[in-house]
Amino acid sequence: MFLNRSEGLALALPAALFTFLVFLMPVGILLSVAFQTDTGAWSLQGYIDFFSQPLNQTVFFRTLKLGILVAGTSAVIGYLAAFCIVNLPTTSRGRIFGLVVLPLMISPVARTYAWIVILGRTGIVNDVIVGLGLSDTPIRLLFTETAVFIGLLQLFLPLMIISLVSSMENIPKDVVPAARVLGASWFQVFFRVILPLTKEGLVIGGTLVFTGALTAYITPAILGGSKVLMLETLLYQKVNVSNDFVSASVIAMILIVMCFSANLVLKRIASVKR
Amino acid sequence: MSRLTIWIILGATLTFLIGPFLIVIFAGMSAGEALAFPPQGLSLKWYAKVFTVESFQASFALSMFLAVFGTIAALLIGIPAAYALNRYDLPGSETIRTIVAAPIIVPGIIVGLALLRYFVVPLNVTITMALFVTHTALVLPYAVRVVSSSLNNLRADMEEAAVILGCTRLQAFTKVVLPNIRGGILAAFILGFVTSFNEVPASLFLSGPGVRTLPIDMLSYMEITFDPSVAALSALLAFMSVAIVFIAERLLGFSRYV
Amino acid sequence: MSNAFVSLTDLTLSYGQTVAVPDLNLDVLEGELIALLGPSGCGKTTTMRAIAGLLTPTSGRIVIDGLDVTRTPANKRGIGLVFQSYALFPHLSAFENVAFGLRLLKLPNAQVRARTEAGMATVGLTGFETRKPAEMSGGQQQRLALARSLVMEPKVLLLDEPLSNLDARLRLEMRNELQRVQKDTGITMVFVTHDQSEALALADRIVLMKDGKIEQLGTPAELYAKPATAFAADFMGFENIFRVEGSELVSHLGRLSVGYEAKVHMLAWRPSGVGVGTGPHTGRVISSSFAGGHREYVLNSPLGQIKADAPIETPEVPIGHEVAFDLPMATARSLAA
Repeated sequence: MFLNRSEGLALALPAALFTFLVFLMPVGILLSVAFQTDTGAWSLQGYIDFFSQPLNQTVFFRTLKLGILVAGTSAVIGYLAAFCIVNLPTTSRGRIFGLVVLPLMISPVARTYAWIVILGRTGIVNDVIVGLGLSDTPIRLLFTETAVFIGLLQLFLPLMIISLVSSMENIPKDVVPAARVLGASWFQVFFRVILPLTKEGLVIGGTLVFTGALTAYITPAILGGSKVLMLETLLYQKVNVSNDFVSASVIAMILIVMCFSANLVLKRIASVKR
Repeated sequence: MSRLTIWIILGATLTFLIGPFLIVIFAGMSAGEALAFPPQGLSLKWYAKVFTVESFQASFALSMFLAVFGTIAALLIGIPAAYALNRYDLPGSETIRTIVAAPIIVPGIIVGLALLRYFVVPLNVTITMALFVTHTALVLPYAVRVVSSSLNNLRADMEEAAVILGCTRLQAFTKVVLPNIRGGILAAFILGFVTSFNEVPASLFLSGPGVRTLPIDMLSYMEITFDPSVAALSALLAFMSVAIVFIAERLLGFSRYV
Repeated sequence: MSNAFVSLTDLTLSYGQTVAVPDLNLDVLEGELIALLGPSGCGKTTTMRAIAGLLTPTSGRIVIDGLDVTRTPANKRGIGLVFQSYALFPHLSAFENVAFGLRLLKLPNAQVRARTEAGMATVGLTGFETRKPAEMSGGQQQRLALARSLVMEPKVLLLDEPLSNLDARLRLEMRNELQRVQKDTGITMVFVTHDQSEALALADRIVLMKDGKIEQLGTPAELYAKPATAFAADFMGFENIFRVEGSELVSHLGRLSVGYEAKVHMLAWRPSGVGVGTGPHTGRVISSSFAGGHREYVLNSPLGQIKADAPIETPEVPIGHEVAFDLPMATARSLAA
């Protein structure tokens, strides 16, 4: 630890100043617009107007719903997958873990585009459905909430698995066998031992997945289109189609509040349950 | 749990996560005109076509430029910051940390809109410059975090030893610290490069006519045309990312930095 | 055998392709304290985990108290296991750790409380109820782990290296504690250890294991006085072991004529069985150390190094000097293999 503080500050300042000027200031101004009327007076009118429109309400609740569903589903799959990965021998554990991380390095556009090939009118799923005679004409699978849900789940599941694996690796050795010998079924082992000892990983993963799903743009844009709008795609429309910057700022504020409160709520849940 | 159950669960999960790519790779190999799977006949014509589309060439060049130079810029201001936060007892170091980490937390689309309205337009910044600044800001948190963690693993008394042996402070940094955090810097570069190259939401509002990053160009191409070239391009990009990460992993054990 | 309480029959245990324990047969009597003794990798821990149900045998049978439990999952066997790492639940208080198994039985709260408190009192942890395991010393954690198993009133209590993580003083305390618990409850105990002094001090019978097989089985007195093989002898402190050819002892370094003929494969001596100061042979002292009641010498002889203890009353021979020594037939243990 060096004591020359001005030297240290001089080194840290460019990065801090840069982020502050080109990032925090513009974002701050944008968010403050959400509390102003066209004339510049402070008011909550923007929010009232926003939530008075049924479409906006639908989009808000859909975004919340999909966020919760994606986070919840990835928690369930994540626990199963993470438990399996942790119980693998070391060499194959590294390889499988690498395969889980791999998709994160690939462009989300490419990752989402794959689902068009699978779920499109001439995609595999429809080929099978028509081929089996379950339906005469292809079913619309794209531009549905299900498509967006699947796309988001595939996009963010790795984040959940990664944080659950790293917190499961910290479970002390032999604690699970100890619970078994004391009479716990696998079900009880999970709820009484594994869950309490990995809640931190669950909170981190849950926050990442939930906020990720909330703020994803590409997936709802490609798989939902204008039929299944989410807050992000709605924001884009407000700006590029209707030039409605107040609504856009309101949506921005809502998104940020949702992200931060998700973090707080999950942290609270984690600490209350022993 | 039995070995069989474990592999069934992992197999299903990995199929869900990775399987779609394999399908994209094959969909891009179609000999037909429309996107379909299984492809109508096999050919590499769409893979070849990708290289001839002019807008793809331009947007690929822009994305490359942003990813390389945006990340380098982020490292140039990020390494000193990481060093200062690690080695000095700074007043308000937590505030500085929070400010620098902020771009990760704020949703990208909000960043893009804010910068467009309150940075680009008022200051009359060019599109390329605006994108460059945005990508630098978005990569900066990763640069600081990864370099910080490799500095953390480096004992501070090594520098003190170098100074006692006659180095100036700057020499101590270049001769002792830098060689030892080289791996971390390279890892930060790769992570920053991949992040920037794949970035969409923040660049959405900032992209202008004729000046688009590659992923955004792909999005708008998809809206107009429904041929397998985007599948081919997606597959190529996936290969590129995987190759970069694979080489990085082989060379320096990339994953321990991320 | 008829009155065996725990009975392992033709038990084979393997990890993937590697067989850790091939075809083991062992009977433990009711109320017996038995030690599985051996070096690491000898299969003792594997055997214990199989008894607990944490490992499924490749073949063979495990019978406990007349019931075949070979396929019974660990949570239905009613067996206690104290892990080497203690495996306490870090998120639960000491009280909840002990109450863990009782709560799974869905017992009324009052009963859980009473049995948990009694269990904690048995191991002298009254007053520590609200502590987290991380806030307790190693010895306290050990006793907590013991209490957690004991309150379940298991048919068999298994202990994995119960004394290895404790310092010398706590080790003695814990040894007494285990013996007391066994006297009080009459519970059948199987413990695993690599330390022969621990096994000798605690066990009613010792199962000495090597490469997944039983090398020798007997009371501590039998094993101590009459190890049957070179491996057992070495483990029991016969540190000087030599092959016999006619009237000569043979090591890979050389041979020594001893003047008597033994019709056995090998002879072994404890350091205390080697005579120092008088005898037909001479060796050079290469180390000498005071050990309280005796002095420990290492002598260089034609057979290589010989470890010998001399009574403290005899004058010390300085390092580098020659000294006479004896390998008498009277103190030798004959070994067949």
